[in-house]
Amino acid sequence: MPTGEAEWHGAESEVSQTRGRVFEALCLSATSIALVSVLVLLLYVANDAFKPLSADPGWHLVILVTLVLPAVGLALYYYRIDEPAGEVAYTVTGLPIVGFLLAGGLGVVFAELLAIDEYFALVIGVAAVVALLFAHTRLRPTAPLERVVLAPLLSIVVVFGTPPAAIAQFIGPDDWQLVVDPAVTVPGLGWHLDLGGFALTVPGLPYRIVSLPELVLKSPVLPLPSLQLLAALTLPIAGLAGWFVGRRHESRQDGLLATGLILVGGAATLALEPATGVAATTWLVVYTTTVVPLAVYVEGVYRRGQLAGLAFPVVLVAGGLAGAVLTRALGLAGPDVWLDWGYLTSAPNSDPALAGIYPALVGSIMLLIVVVMMTFPIGVGAAIYLEEYAPSSGLVGKFVTLIEINISNLAGVPSVVYGLLGLAVFIRWAQIPNGSIIVGGLTVGLLILPIVIIAAQEAIEAVPDSLRQASYGMGSTRWQTVRNIVLPEAMPGILTGTILALGRAIGETAPLLLVGIAASVRLAPNSFFDLGSAMPRQIFTWAFEPQAEFRYGVLAAGVVTLLVVLLVMNATAIVLRNKFERTNT
Amino acid sequence: MTQDNVTDDRTDRSTIVSPEDAGNESETPDPSGESSLSRSIAAEGRDGERVGTAQTVLEARDLNVYYDDVQAIDDVSLAIPENRVTALIGPSGCGKSTFLRSINRMNDLIDAARIEGELLFRGKNVYDDDVDPVALRRKVGMVFQHPNPFPKSIYDNVAYGLRIQDDTENLDERVETALKRAALWDEVKDQLDESALDLSGGQQQRLCIARAIAVDPEVILMDEPASALDPIATSKIEDLIEELAEEYTVVIVTHNMQQAARISDRTAVFLTGGELVEYDDTETIFENPESQRVEDYITGKFG
Repeated sequence: MPTGEAEWHGAESEVSQTRGRVFEALCLSATSIALVSVLVLLLYVANDAFKPLSADPGWHLVILVTLVLPAVGLALYYYRIDEPAGEVAYTVTGLPIVGFLLAGGLGVVFAELLAIDEYFALVIGVAAVVALLFAHTRLRPTAPLERVVLAPLLSIVVVFGTPPAAIAQFIGPDDWQLVVDPAVTVPGLGWHLDLGGFALTVPGLPYRIVSLPELVLKSPVLPLPSLQLLAALTLPIAGLAGWFVGRRHESRQDGLLATGLILVGGAATLALEPATGVAATTWLVVYTTTVVPLAVYVEGVYRRGQLAGLAFPVVLVAGGLAGAVLTRALGLAGPDVWLDWGYLTSAPNSDPALAGIYPALVGSIMLLIVVVMMTFPIGVGAAIYLEEYAPSSGLVGKFVTLIEINISNLAGVPSVVYGLLGLAVFIRWAQIPNGSIIVGGLTVGLLILPIVIIAAQEAIEAVPDSLRQASYGMGSTRWQTVRNIVLPEAMPGILTGTILALGRAIGETAPLLLVGIAASVRLAPNSFFDLGSAMPRQIFTWAFEPQAEFRYGVLAAGVVTLLVVLLVMNATAIVLRNKFERTNT
Repeated sequence: MTQDNVTDDRTDRSTIVSPEDAGNESETPDPSGESSLSRSIAAEGRDGERVGTAQTVLEARDLNVYYDDVQAIDDVSLAIPENRVTALIGPSGCGKSTFLRSINRMNDLIDAARIEGELLFRGKNVYDDDVDPVALRRKVGMVFQHPNPFPKSIYDNVAYGLRIQDDTENLDERVETALKRAALWDEVKDQLDESALDLSGGQQQRLCIARAIAVDPEVILMDEPASALDPIATSKIEDLIEELAEEYTVVIVTHNMQQAARISDRTAVFLTGGELVEYDDTETIFENPESQRVEDYITGKFG
């Protein structure tokens, strides 16, 4: 019967679907609002930072024709026809960008924190410790406990010398002093450390052990900085790359060949200094972080025969060069961008045209180093305890639950409150210099500690229980299970969570204001106890400058710099997560 | 009770356990020397003649296990003979897995679990204060229901137990031996460095067995080792279990009664509430059970 059929598939089922459609539309609009607001914000800031409208329309046209259209066309080709090549194109374009950023980071470290010869000496010290421990493994393979004791002892003595001396020398402020205390036993034996308010006296120890790096630094035959870098930076990377290539080719010989070639290439970059006027060390850093990984990757692509993907960066570079040549030849002016090389490498200035973000960028990176050193061990340690060791039932279990709830609550405490805490604890009580990088780092570290703990807990919880059971069933101790099974499985998740938390740390402003991080500094900090600024703090300062160029141009460029750093960190987290998911299937 | 005696006895084991041949089975006249074993068997009112030739390696005495207030094992006493396959069968939630896990103290990992009574391994109560569960688990290995290889290479999986014991002499050789005993060597010998997760489910389970026997335990506990596998992989595992019983004592929990009948020498039937209803030679349990409830369960009237 036709009428009967109409009744069972007619109006009623449509009514029940209407609600679903309305709900779907509402969710879609929520997503769109979020997306559009982020896009508008980014466009608004980018417009101020790059001022695209200040360029000649002809310039835009030329760039469109030479660079944008070919790149978009090629991207469409990959998307539609050759997806594997698209992945190659994406990696081969991204690798040098990451490499350049890494080179920039290393450059900052070598310029501000650790001179090249200090780095060289440190690497020699670490290599000596590793060699000694390796020798011990060979000589006494059945005494792992000895190595547990030996490893930290050797690291301290060989790399740093006597601990307090090292603390005072490497990271301590000027008023931390190591003095021989006449009250302490034999003169010259025993140390007394005066840390501002605290005093630490340990009798019976030799006053001073000279560390291996110090000996190296004092050596009269220290090689040229470029050769030091070749040995301490390029050599390990070349070894790693050689191992990787050797494994890929299943041939030790190929691996050694790759290592050799990379070293020869590194030595060749030294010749670039006289030709280009740019320091050989700069070339070497760029070569090691950019060219080497790219070459190893391209070699793999070549072996797999997926050469189509390599066209993308070629098109980008060629298009960019052609555009530059053409616009210059035609006399077409490009945009007057705020965010350029000069901006990234110069100090804040009262003249907006000369102002730059370099000291704040360095400050932010150093801040992040402090944050990582503080939150990673504490956060991961706490997460391991809470997930793997803490009892889940009984009175203690209830207490643990209470702690976990509190950690979640701490993650939501306003950052200003953490700023006050930092002010009270680190500056007033521990007497660490006001406004120093370390105070800022410790305070922001406290702020993201709960986030790191929660992320690490989730990563550890995601490790299948069947693996733990298998490990315990084999007669593993808890520690062996955590070390061999749980941590390796959870590590990508822990790293992802930590990096995302660091993304929050780098943008925090309120706690920095409270612990006195400088509004603006002309010189980048050279030690963790120096007064420094940070990008968000510097941006905050620029927002109140009287000149409009600061508020619209310089500030926007700062925001874009900060966002780029953030995006790179988030991209790293995403790549890690994807890699993790891939190995799991 | 010599090793030869045991081995001789094993040669006709297949005739004991395969139901179609069971009728031709002749009595083995050796009911002597049953010490502690006989007590628990006597408690069930039967005499374990076939397995009487084997020594008791594991013995539960009035074992009770509770999860908080819920009793999972109710006053169970039984003795498990050496170099035999002992099957624990019963409906879901009857406590057979709990019993298995209490043998190597895996229940210690559950905070809510509480144990009363004794469980003797070679005469020593494993719940004594001076027993380290880690040492116990190195003697009593375990294979789980779902294959759970570590996300490491095949080689590293098998070597895991030896490495955590810092016992890495002739590692290659011992990994090879374990894989051969687990009947997996021929399939994986060219891909030892590849991830264990790339193996099929049946291969993964045999890898887990290789991993368990690499450290040379005395007892292997198996918690429904074939329930997540297809019939072909299952039959391989069953063949393997029969071979393993030549060198190891195997205690296996299974839902599959045919499997228990095929591969085990002794069978314990647990019914609801963690109660051990009957424990006897497999043949007796399946042909002529004492208890009406066991007969109902085996013939499929419930459970």
